[in-house]
This record gives sequence, C-alpha cells and structure tokens, in this order.
Amino acid sequence: MSGDTASGSPAPVQRSRWISTFYLLPVLAAFIPLFANEYIQFMANRMLVYILVTVGFNLVVGNLGQLAFANTAFFGIGAYSTAIMMSHVGLPYWVALIIAAIAGGLAGLLASITALRGIRLYYLAIITLAFGELMRWVYLHADKVTMGSDGLPLPPLDLFGLPITTEVGKFYIFLAITVVVVKATSNLLRSRIGRAIMAIRDNELTTASLGISTAHHIVLAFVWSGVVVGIAGAMFAALVGRVFPESFGLIEVIVHFAMVMVGGTGSLIGSVIGGVTLTALPEYFRQFPGMEELFFGIIIICILLFLPKGIASILAKLSAVFRERYYLD
Amino acid sequence: MDPLLELKNVSVHFAGLKALTDVSFAARGGEVKAVIGPNGAGKTTLFNVISGYVPPTAGEIYLENKPIHGLAPHHISARGVRRTFQNGGLFGEMTVLENVLTGLHVQISSGFFGLMLGTRAARNAEREATEKARRLLDMMDMGEFADQQVKSLSGGQQRIVEIVRTVATEPPLMLLDEPAVGLSPPMRERMMEIIRRLAGEQGVAILLIEHAIDLVMAGADVIIVLNAGQKIAEGSPEQVREDREVLEAYLGHA
Repeated sequence: MSGDTASGSPAPVQRSRWISTFYLLPVLAAFIPLFANEYIQFMANRMLVYILVTVGFNLVVGNLGQLAFANTAFFGIGAYSTAIMMSHVGLPYWVALIIAAIAGGLAGLLASITALRGIRLYYLAIITLAFGELMRWVYLHADKVTMGSDGLPLPPLDLFGLPITTEVGKFYIFLAITVVVVKATSNLLRSRIGRAIMAIRDNELTTASLGISTAHHIVLAFVWSGVVVGIAGAMFAALVGRVFPESFGLIEVIVHFAMVMVGGTGSLIGSVIGGVTLTALPEYFRQFPGMEELFFGIIIICILLFLPKGIASILAKLSAVFRERYYLD
Repeated sequence: MDPLLELKNVSVHFAGLKALTDVSFAARGGEVKAVIGPNGAGKTTLFNVISGYVPPTAGEIYLENKPIHGLAPHHISARGVRRTFQNGGLFGEMTVLENVLTGLHVQISSGFFGLMLGTRAARNAEREATEKARRLLDMMDMGEFADQQVKSLSGGQQRIVEIVRTVATEPPLMLLDEPAVGLSPPMRERMMEIIRRLAGEQGVAILLIEHAIDLVMAGADVIIVLNAGQKIAEGSPEQVREDREVLEAYLGHA
C-alpha cells in the first residue's frame, strides 16, 4: 500500500523505490562498525535507542496530536522491567525485552485513560508529566527492587547463550530490533489504523461521524507508543548496563520532545533524523566546554524557526522519494 | 416502498422558542429532498433533531421503521445517517485520497496484527480500498486531485471531497447542510449535478438545506418549506412555486 498514497508519480514506481529506500539506511548503518572506534560505536548504539524513543513519542504527539508527555515513564518502565527481569528473576535478555515491551504497552494503556476521559492540551500535558515524575519517585523509593539512586545493574548481556560483550555486538542486535519496530510502525501508519489516528488529530468529531471509534484508536496509539518506547528502554538498559532513576527525569522529556520537533512532527523519517541528530549534536559540542548548552539551544531554536516542520521537511523538497506522505508531513 | 426516514409530528422547543412544531415528512432512497425557508425557520434544528444533536420535545423519528429519536448522535451515525457540515470537517493534513480512504475505514476488514506485520491479506484489503476510493473520486471528476493535500484545494473542491468521503461510507441517508453556499456559479451547478447523481446512481436518500432557490428548483425532486418552525408546504418544485402560502411567507411579497 506504500506508494499508492504518494504524491505525483504513479503508484507502482513509488512502491518499488520505497522498498529500496526503507532498507537503504539500515544497510548503510550495518557498515558503521567497520569505521567506528569503541566510543563512536557507543554513540551509534545510543542513536538507535533514541530513534525508537522518538518514533514512539512522535506517534502520540505528531500523529495522534495529543500533548501527552508520558514518554519518559514508558522509557523508564521499559528499562527497569528489563533490569529487574534480568538481575532479580534471571531471565534472558530477549525475554526481558518482550516483558519490557508489554510493560511499556500497559503504561501506554494507563496514559490513554487520561485522553479518553476528554483531558486534552495543557491538562493532558501536566498530568502525563506528573506520571513520569511519579515513576521516577517509584524508582528512587522502591529501593529493595530498584536499588534506588545507586542504580540497578544488569548482568552481562547474552543472546541465546551467546555472550554479547562488545558495543559492536549490541549494535547489530539493536539495529535488527530498530528495523523491525520501525517497519511495523510504518505498516501501521500507512494502514486504516494510521489514517484513523491522524484523522483524530485533524478533526476528532468528523472522525467519529464517519463511524470510526475514536476511543479505540486513541488507546491503540498510546499502547503502541508505549510498546515502542518500552523496547527502547530495554535497549537503553542493555546499553548502559546500570539503570538510574535520574535517566528518566524532566530534562529527558524535553530532549525527547526536541527530537520530535527537530525531526518533524508526524513523520517517521523525521523521528529517525531527530533521534540521530540530537544524540550526535550534544556529543559534538562537548569539545566546547561551557558553551555546549548554548550551541545546542541555538541550533534547536534555528531549526524550529526556519523549519517549523522539522528537518524532514527539507527532504520532502529535495526528492520525490522522500515525499512519501506518511513519512513527511 | 417504505420510506427510509420518517418524521411523525416532531417538535423541538427550546426555552421560550418553538424551533420546530409538528413537522412530519418522509424521505426515500433515490430522492433528493430540499428543505428551504427563511432564516430562523428551523432548517438546522431539523437536521440536528434527525442526527441526534438535539432531542425532540415531542414526536417520533424512524429510520428503516426503527425509532431513532432520543438516540445519541454516534448511534444514529452508526445506523447510516451521515451529515456534512457547513464548515468542512476535512482532514486538512491528509491528501484527498486519504480523506476518502478514512471514509472507507469500517469497510476495510483487516486487524491490528495483520496491518502491523503487513500481511498479504492486509495489503490486499488496503489496495482494494484504495482502488474503490479512486473510483469514487473519478466518478465525481476529482480523480486528478487524489494525491493533493486537501488544504491546497479550493473551497468548492473541498466541499466535493467531503461529499465523496461521506458517500464512501455508503450511507442510506445523507444530510447536506448548504452544500452550494459560497461556491462559484459553475461549481454550484456541478455540486447539484453530483447530488442528483448520488441519488440517481447510488440510491441515496438526500435531504439538503439550501438557500439558493434556483438550484433547489432545478435539482430537487421534492421541496419542503419551513416557516417559523412549521412545515407550510411540501411538493414538487412546480407545486411549491404555485403555493400561495409559500409565496406569502417565504418568497416574501412576491
């Protein structure tokens, strides 16, 4: 169904081109370990984590159009579920990852209740922010399980008995997970479900008047967002090896939100761009001690001033391939 | 043939205002019925009471012989009463095609996991829906705009897209609120032609509010005239034109 909604060119051409472009980026990314040192590789792994963080958040903010900021809650719940399942229960990583996805989905379900009750805009924003802060309090104070501010360590990572000790090993696992999750999200966004979600954003009353259950789709968007960000949390836990409550504070929400805005709201490729750019930039600016926040702030302001639809909107102008509707707003 | 929609002595009274009094009529599939009347005659209230936004104070409304009075709007809409609004209600960020596809939503029979995994069945269902949406757009001569963003179209074109999207839901009954208002003269005629074809080719029962008397006289099968909340006439354009009470009450001092 991909190319059928593309603007301009006939559908079959667009479709075949899209298949190649979708897998082009991950195939290119697969060569990164050949060039990267340990540090760069760690950053590439972080980027994969933040791609999923942004994809999940963008679903609620950009596609569903709800100002819900429960993203750090989903992220933290995913990370802590993974750490708890591995270090306390002794489950293998892949099982912990599935549990993290389910836990994130349940957190999404919980967050959707607010939107279902008709809570919108600033009220929804503050309630969901409070949800994130509440979860941080839980990580801090449930210290028998989470070890509080000392952080909860993960046992060494292995996959089906195969020890994964290097950043490169993690990278290929993360890359595979990211491709699968982004592709699934892309399938959903291009389907009747994605259209219903975006219809709710554009006009909730009319959507209902077409016989579409808006409640059903609001819940779906939140749950899928929770699943995606929960998985990102599981990857984050594996990446850092020890999960701290401070990783899921208010600053983190702002970073997530900036990633969505800089990449492009409602755009899947925008989420990828936002996650990558805003992971790389602060690292780059580290070479200017004392100025890093200033540079970072200025860059975000400039992008949003001149590209209100995010970096993704430039791609739309550059190439018809990128003008795919669900990917670029 | 049994009427699709039947109103029996429907009244709507607000505090101190009799918006509708004792209105009865029936609408059948394939028939274009226009509701005319001066401002404040109760036309919009009539639409509101049929679609459930306002409960009737008295009287009964039947859709396919089942009572719908007092039901909530989404229940009435689920039974196939579709309404367009004066100020659009299109999904502006989406393309024309996607807007129509959204109208086809409930007819696409694929589930969450099929769509997520992109199974062949789910892709086929989407493809069929897309073809159907393109056919509907072609039928209304809107095919060339399929891949354009809705907000880039003119007001009249947007109005047609909204109607195509509504038609996509295959409603037995459509309530059109001033479909031709604000349109250029050629666009107005096209709109009326589209409405005629919906009734003629799709067998939709159409009820429309319209101020443009010339359009109504040319396009409607039956005209209902409201004045001060009461139905003062119902008949063919010729009959209504000759009706003394209509001439006095509605067409003013003509």
